[in-house]
Amino acid sequence: MTDKEKRLTIWYEEMEGADYPLVGKKNANLGEMIKAGIPVSPGFSVTICANDKFITDTGIKSELEKRLPDLGEVTYESAKEASDFAVGLIEQTDLPADLEDAILSAYTQLCERCGLPACPVAVRSSGSVSMPGQMETYLNIRGERDLIAYVRKCWSSAYNTEAIMYRMNKGMAFLFNIGVGIPKMVNSRVSGIIFTLNPVNGDLSKISIDVSYGLGEAVVSGIVTPDTCLVDKVTMEPIKTTLGSKEIQCVYREGGSDIITCDVPEGKRRMTCLSRQEMLELARVGKLIENYYGKAYDFEFGIDADMPFPENIIILQVRPESVWSKKEVAAKTEKKADPMERILSQLLTGVRLR
Amino acid sequence: MAKQFMDPHDVPAIPGTEGWERLYPYQYQFSKVDPERSAFESSQIWFYDGLHYPEPHYPFDLIWDEAWSLALSQYNTRHWLIPPALGIDHRIVNGYVYISPVGVADPADIPKRVPHFMERAGYYFQNWDRLYENWKKKMTGVIDRLEAMNFTELPEMEDISVIKEGLGIGSGYKLLKQYDDLIDLGLLCWQYHFEFLNLAYAAQVTFFQTADQIFPGIPMSTLTKLSAGFDPILFRPDAELIRLAKLAIEVGIEDLILKPLKAEDLMKELSTHPVGKEWLKELEKSRYPWFHISTGTGWYHTHISWNDNLNIPFDAIRTNITTLKSGREIGRPTAQILKERDRIADEYRKLIKTDADREAFDQGLSIARLVLPYAEDHNFYVEHWFHTLFWAKVRQVGQILQNAGFIENADEDIWFFRRDEIKQALWDHVTSWSTGVRARGPSYWPKEIAWRKGVYAKFKEWQPPAALGTPPDVVTEPFTIVLWGVTNNVLQSWLGSGGDGGSENEIQGSPGSSGTAEGPARVLKTVEQLADLKQGEILVATTTSPSWAPSFVKIAGAVTDVGGPMCHAAIVCREYGLPTVVGTGKGTQLIKTGDIIRIDGDTGLVTIVKRAG
Repeated sequence: MTDKEKRLTIWYEEMEGADYPLVGKKNANLGEMIKAGIPVSPGFSVTICANDKFITDTGIKSELEKRLPDLGEVTYESAKEASDFAVGLIEQTDLPADLEDAILSAYTQLCERCGLPACPVAVRSSGSVSMPGQMETYLNIRGERDLIAYVRKCWSSAYNTEAIMYRMNKGMAFLFNIGVGIPKMVNSRVSGIIFTLNPVNGDLSKISIDVSYGLGEAVVSGIVTPDTCLVDKVTMEPIKTTLGSKEIQCVYREGGSDIITCDVPEGKRRMTCLSRQEMLELARVGKLIENYYGKAYDFEFGIDADMPFPENIIILQVRPESVWSKKEVAAKTEKKADPMERILSQLLTGVRLR
Repeated sequence: MAKQFMDPHDVPAIPGTEGWERLYPYQYQFSKVDPERSAFESSQIWFYDGLHYPEPHYPFDLIWDEAWSLALSQYNTRHWLIPPALGIDHRIVNGYVYISPVGVADPADIPKRVPHFMERAGYYFQNWDRLYENWKKKMTGVIDRLEAMNFTELPEMEDISVIKEGLGIGSGYKLLKQYDDLIDLGLLCWQYHFEFLNLAYAAQVTFFQTADQIFPGIPMSTLTKLSAGFDPILFRPDAELIRLAKLAIEVGIEDLILKPLKAEDLMKELSTHPVGKEWLKELEKSRYPWFHISTGTGWYHTHISWNDNLNIPFDAIRTNITTLKSGREIGRPTAQILKERDRIADEYRKLIKTDADREAFDQGLSIARLVLPYAEDHNFYVEHWFHTLFWAKVRQVGQILQNAGFIENADEDIWFFRRDEIKQALWDHVTSWSTGVRARGPSYWPKEIAWRKGVYAKFKEWQPPAALGTPPDVVTEPFTIVLWGVTNNVLQSWLGSGGDGGSENEIQGSPGSSGTAEGPARVLKTVEQLADLKQGEILVATTTSPSWAPSFVKIAGAVTDVGGPMCHAAIVCREYGLPTVVGTGKGTQLIKTGDIIRIDGDTGLVTIVKRAG
């Protein structure tokens, strides 16, 4: 085993896409994004190896293996029974001291990096095989004790009933070690969605930014009218900003991880919520993402109130643009034999004023 | 129901200017006498041509307006037969010129014009470079003839050679003839001015519209970057000043040049200095023709050239020396601009998904680039070089009339004559000279000129409305779109409809040159006020001139009342990387010197942040 394969925690910026067997796909993908220059929230992975060390050193692994032959045919009932046993076992077992130290030492460094004591983080499961939505993610976790508790909860979530059934039906192993991602919670002053094309007409020469105050949920779910900014993708110059009404914003409940809405003060509603500098940085990142993946993308972003520009620009989630990219592209101009025919046609059309 | 501007017949006269109409040709008046012509006038959009004329017209200076009225229109209507568009009609209201694009009245005539247009315009596009080379020869020929002209006093008696060579003509006749030749040369120059320009603008509109179909909303600033970036000779005079400043530092005479001396005294001192003498030779090389650049747009007689007043280029050379000594780079990064142009074109091209659109884009771009050198360079030959020499010749005529007692001040008064009246006055003068009697001029003109000056001063205080009459649905006239930038948005802002959240403190114009700036405004109403500009101010003017470029080192940005994407202000400001908003319609009216304003050259928005105390 190489050094990296034996490590219990790995910083995001040390990972790359090929590391998914070590840290899971979600985490490895973040590492790949950082490598491509795409800014993500700072954080680290608790490795799959760490999960294995936990269940091996504590004897959980042999307990589970003992139970396995009794599992029998996979039914909801039998899966639930196995789940209750596994989850109970994991959540009631303390971490080996060296493992706990490794995680907390990385967490302490993260807190220092962000300049925040008990830095709020997300605790996200990250399997080496995609199992969409089968495992848990916990938001707004603060402090050492909670962090360890939620890492354990994340590990145990690989054994929830649905996850067990999913694996059994796919012929996968019952034992399943996962990676855990621990990024700083983005304290979004503003957030929104970027398309690397104009979503209104599919024009590839524009970058479109929808942005409003607070957490991205407000824009994603459409409960506010955000500001919309268009930027020229080639010259990187702002073209137009349409002011949205932005009456409300989404925030985390004080001390909790659930999201509530509150009013945006009158004065702030009538202001554009992005500075020119932020707009251009977001457009730059948008172009970078498109160039990196080689096609139009859309992604969510937040601008973190705790960090200085440009580190405050955080990309939260990226996916290929799915509407215009699937459409057959028709020519937008008429065919003309030569430039003279084109000039003639233009002169005959003129420019419509109203 | 679309909003209308004030009917052109309803514009009230300014009290105390009654009778002003005689300052200008009669056909420039709006009139209700002929019902048909009157109905036509009411049905047209008339917009104030502040792009060319930030000040009211001196009667003599109207020569260029008449010259382009004829030339532009004839090329649309009679030379190229632009299928749907005829000429641009002209009127004058309280001293300000209003213009209106005219369409072909009967739609059935449009297809009949098409084959002619294709043959005629096609010939010019196919032979563009050769014809343009020939044009430069024709233009420099016209300029040579102008330079050769010289207006002198009538002799006490004819030279003996007139007798012995049997010439059989007199100096009075020659003076009248030479004046006619001068005017004729001016009109000829303007015939050439438009030889290519209508086609050039048609090509540019075509490219702009084609690109907009493929990339909806593509900003004008991007379009012009795509087609621009040659090495326009309008930037040459400024480049010469930088060259001379660098040379002065190189040969070590910068301290001598930095001395705050008048140009004349400084040149005397330089001519006695061994190195200075050599530098003066370089100065002379720059002067002809590059110092024939006008200090304004060239349209007014007050817009003298650097050659007319060498203090202006010497001041700029001093500014350049100081800037260079402080370690700052100055000048236009031509290679960088060209590289950026090619990158932008290449990236845009790669974004096109269909072969048909790619072909359309390439066709459009190729013609836009073909016509660009002419579109950018003709100005220097005509409005700068020819015009400034022309004004100087008219001043010679003025001197003759001053000496004859017809006017009090050659430099100030001659412009209050219509050009046909100068011919009349010269007749009065030469017949009195030939007859040996007293002319009527001295008892007639001074009173009339004094009255006209009063009228002119009242014109100057008046603020002409941006537009009059009825907005059309479609504009087909290429100049109206490209040069004046008349579009729906512009008309709306002129109508003052407000629209999206507009207020008295926000003025919507068009993006001229990218970037934002905030600072105190300096509103310039005349060229002379250029000297008042201070570091970091935002220049607000009806329009700007390329020869203001040396001042652009100082300012943070610019706002103009009038202008489209290819107007001179937009071209120059883009080149100098100055945030600029053009076509605000009323910027000089709403903004006062000292107001703190914020301008956004990408969105075209001007915000008055704080009013001057």
